[in-house]
Amino acid sequence: MNTTTTTMPSQPLAPPNVARTSVRPRRSAWTPARIGIYAFLLVCAVFFLFPLYVMLITSVKPMEEIRLGNLFSLPVKVTLEPWAVAWSAACTGLQCEGIKGGFFNSIAIVVPSTILSILVGALNGYALSFWKPRGGTLLFGVLLMGAFVPYQVIMFPLVRAFAALSIFGTLPGIVLIHTIFGMPVMTLLFRNYYASIPNELFKAARIDGGGFWRIFLQLMLPMSLPILVVAVIMQVTGIWNDFILGLVFAGRDHLPMTVQLNNVINTTTGERLYNVNMAATVLTSLVPLFIYLVSGRWFVRGIAAGAVKG
Amino acid sequence: MSAAARPGSHWLRHGVVYAAMLPMLATVLFAYLGTVFWSVRVSVSSSRTLPSSDFVGMAQYTRLFASERWLLSLENVVVFGVIFIAACLVLGFLLAVFIDQKVAGEGVLRTVFLYPYAMSFVATGLIWQWVLNPELGIQSTVRALGFETFTFDWIATQDKVMYAIALAAVWQAAGLVMALMLAGLRGIDDSLWKAARIDGIPTWRVYMSIVLPMLGPSIGTAVVLLSVSVVKVYDVVVAMTQGGPGLASEVPGKFIMDNLFGRANIGLASAASTVLLLTVLALLAPWMYARARAARNGGHR
Amino acid sequence: MIRKHSLAIGASLAVLAVGAAHAQANRAEVIHWWTSGGESAAIQEIANGYKAAGGTWVDSAIAGGEAARSAAINRIVGGNPSTAAQFNTSQQFLDIVKGGMLNNVDEVAKKNDWDKILPAPILKSIKIDGHFYAVPVNIHMPAWFWYSKAAFAKAGIAAEPKTPEEFFAALDKLKAAGITPVAFGGQPWQEKIVFDALLAHIGGSDLYLKVYKGDQKAIASPEFKNVLASFKKLKSYTDAGSPNRNWNDATSMVISGKAGVQIMGDWAKGEFQAAKQTAGKEFGCFPGFGPKAPYIIAGDVFVFPKTTDAAAIKSQQLLATVMTSPATQVAFNNKKGSIPIRTDVDAKSMDTCAQQGIAAMKDVSRQLPNSEMLVAPDITGALQDVVTKFWNTNQSVDDAVKAVGAAVKG
Repeated sequence: MNTTTTTMPSQPLAPPNVARTSVRPRRSAWTPARIGIYAFLLVCAVFFLFPLYVMLITSVKPMEEIRLGNLFSLPVKVTLEPWAVAWSAACTGLQCEGIKGGFFNSIAIVVPSTILSILVGALNGYALSFWKPRGGTLLFGVLLMGAFVPYQVIMFPLVRAFAALSIFGTLPGIVLIHTIFGMPVMTLLFRNYYASIPNELFKAARIDGGGFWRIFLQLMLPMSLPILVVAVIMQVTGIWNDFILGLVFAGRDHLPMTVQLNNVINTTTGERLYNVNMAATVLTSLVPLFIYLVSGRWFVRGIAAGAVKG
Repeated sequence: MSAAARPGSHWLRHGVVYAAMLPMLATVLFAYLGTVFWSVRVSVSSSRTLPSSDFVGMAQYTRLFASERWLLSLENVVVFGVIFIAACLVLGFLLAVFIDQKVAGEGVLRTVFLYPYAMSFVATGLIWQWVLNPELGIQSTVRALGFETFTFDWIATQDKVMYAIALAAVWQAAGLVMALMLAGLRGIDDSLWKAARIDGIPTWRVYMSIVLPMLGPSIGTAVVLLSVSVVKVYDVVVAMTQGGPGLASEVPGKFIMDNLFGRANIGLASAASTVLLLTVLALLAPWMYARARAARNGGHR
Repeated sequence: MIRKHSLAIGASLAVLAVGAAHAQANRAEVIHWWTSGGESAAIQEIANGYKAAGGTWVDSAIAGGEAARSAAINRIVGGNPSTAAQFNTSQQFLDIVKGGMLNNVDEVAKKNDWDKILPAPILKSIKIDGHFYAVPVNIHMPAWFWYSKAAFAKAGIAAEPKTPEEFFAALDKLKAAGITPVAFGGQPWQEKIVFDALLAHIGGSDLYLKVYKGDQKAIASPEFKNVLASFKKLKSYTDAGSPNRNWNDATSMVISGKAGVQIMGDWAKGEFQAAKQTAGKEFGCFPGFGPKAPYIIAGDVFVFPKTTDAAAIKSQQLLATVMTSPATQVAFNNKKGSIPIRTDVDAKSMDTCAQQGIAAMKDVSRQLPNSEMLVAPDITGALQDVVTKFWNTNQSVDDAVKAVGAAVKG
């Protein structure tokens, strides 16, 4: 053991259980491999970023310039007016107040829907993965099949059912809808994640006297941090950007921001203000983007490692 | 286990588990099974804008498979699916692995690769349409730089338009696959790396032979998520090509949507959706059965 | 003391209640899809007219016709209908009428003599089983020819073409002058508009109506084959960037003089106006070849979801009256780019293109219903598929004829 340590490059002395960011046993030496890694990431970054570049420069050009059609050229005249218009003055019907109107509605829909759908998904994944109830796999299989059905096809009976339950066009109604449609993917996410957690951990906890809920809340949930982050990313993005479900089930008083966004961008026979459309799209996507940015601190290593050893 | 010995006790002891699964059961029964059966019932009726209760047998299905548009859409979705899933998996995996190499600015890079997922495809699809348009975008720009014979008009060609759509779709989804893989990578024990180091195995071998198999569940999740996107693909096609040029980029999702709303033919749309579901069932069921058997036989994976 | 207090409270509550009732008098929630700047200004005219008549307008705008109509129908199914919902003058709402989901507006129709003042094709569309189920608000013509005066001057085209031959000759002159002859947007619905335009203007009204009625002999006739051939010929006058292009981008080409002609509906006027161009100065418009050219009628209507609530019914009837009043008609259509549904209005304030349209409408023989009024949405869609395939592939004219024949059968 000792002989090998002297020939290897020095290791970072991080304790095994603590993880802030990745603790890969490699120094940042400029080996060809390292340069290759950065080169690849850079090329990919360019591929990913150039549509954003086009979006941003289009959003600060006046319409006369856009009509000339030079996609990649920098604006001759920079104008921030499209951004102001998109937020507070674009026409969305009779009113011309931009997309800001639906902002708080979207928040009111996204927060409870995300929390509820993730909790239910984690619970299902946990129960399916560790407790293996009878018929669980079949139920999961049917649930997964449901994810493949385009929900517009089944909207009619759902509208009828919700109307019968008096929750059609209400906030609880739209939250329930998002939970229902998020269930297959969330359950899949957590079930597969828990499948990679060693069973010994679970058995040990049961021997220690843990019951269903205790093990879930005190052991599994805290260990699911990385997949929780992914789940939050998926649900916040999906629910924030959802249009048709919010349009039909949320009711006039709770219409999400995407309805205004659709009204600004989409039109059959009206004029298209491309700069305002681009600005409005970027503005709407700021909330999911913010979530992505702050989610970094929780992309940590699983604590499973430490738990097994300890 | 002795649970099977005394009949009532299994349910009693594990009542909590079954109670916790009630929301899932209710959702599956009412929101999924119930509505899917409803749509199958509609598919054997002559419903147009509103569901009607008559019975026309297989007429909608006959009409479906006589429709050139439907058959083309099936072809297209297969081509799209293969390219999209393969590209997303490879790109997502590589991005995750490379980002995990303790690179500078990991947070920024991760957001760069993830941000397309946050944006509504109505606008980003239009950008891609402009960029890939031969007169407006990349082809004309490169030609202006002097390369007179450069052609990149996939989006305007009948037989290459699906590649253009796959390109934009990969741009949007690869970031999420990367995030999934990263979560999986971060769940791999540190001691594994130390042990591999000590044994002197080159890093790439570690990834190929040890890490990749351990990422099995993450890859499985990614494949299912991507497959769901493929079967339901709609936004990117509508935003980029509206199914064109002609019918060349028609996909089942768009066929269904058009018949549900514009063409006021929910009978035909339900038939299409049923066929789609049955196809997915036929493909996935054997795989799920195999997994269920493996789960019963060994381990809890 | 307490008594006086409660009396005061009671009185103020009563005043508040009356005030609230007044504020929400004739409340009408209207679903529509007019969300762009120009369209918003247009619906503002109707809303203002409604407010002036004592109503309260609650706006529910949803961009995209299909999304708006689907939302309206889902609301009806879910038991929470709006007061009014927008549809097109077409067969789109036939099914929900047959399903008993709409109120009729027979009273308003009788009081305002709709049978006399509305054009026959529109009457046919809104009158089902003898009852009036929709209020028409405008007449759009989807087959106008818009041209850039600068481009025409550069190509040496002196006058607007009066026959199909002159039209193609003009296109040749444009091509020779290095200008893209036809500004085209390669989207299925745009291709269908151009096809219908050529069917009406080259094939004639009779052939147009026969084809849509499903007359197989007319479809197999040499005249129809000629229309198909001319349609395909048009493709050689478009540029390589036309696939998937939005119609606004095609209009931009005409605005900047890069292209000569665009065949598009009268909503294109909005783009010209946004670019500060005036009809007759920088751009010109004509609705067809010659003074007897067919004038294709399309448009928007409002329907009224079924309700037994007396207040809602009152609102619906007030809406119907306001929407068809002469003053509202002129104000609304001026902003919308379409023309009023009634010919007995003072159109002096409308621009030259609109005046041309109104004059055309006065000639009953020129009125031609658009395809959505003639056949079910399903068949329109099937025809659109045939047209877009023919335009974009090397399909032969004979195969296209067969495909059209199959599509109109439904």
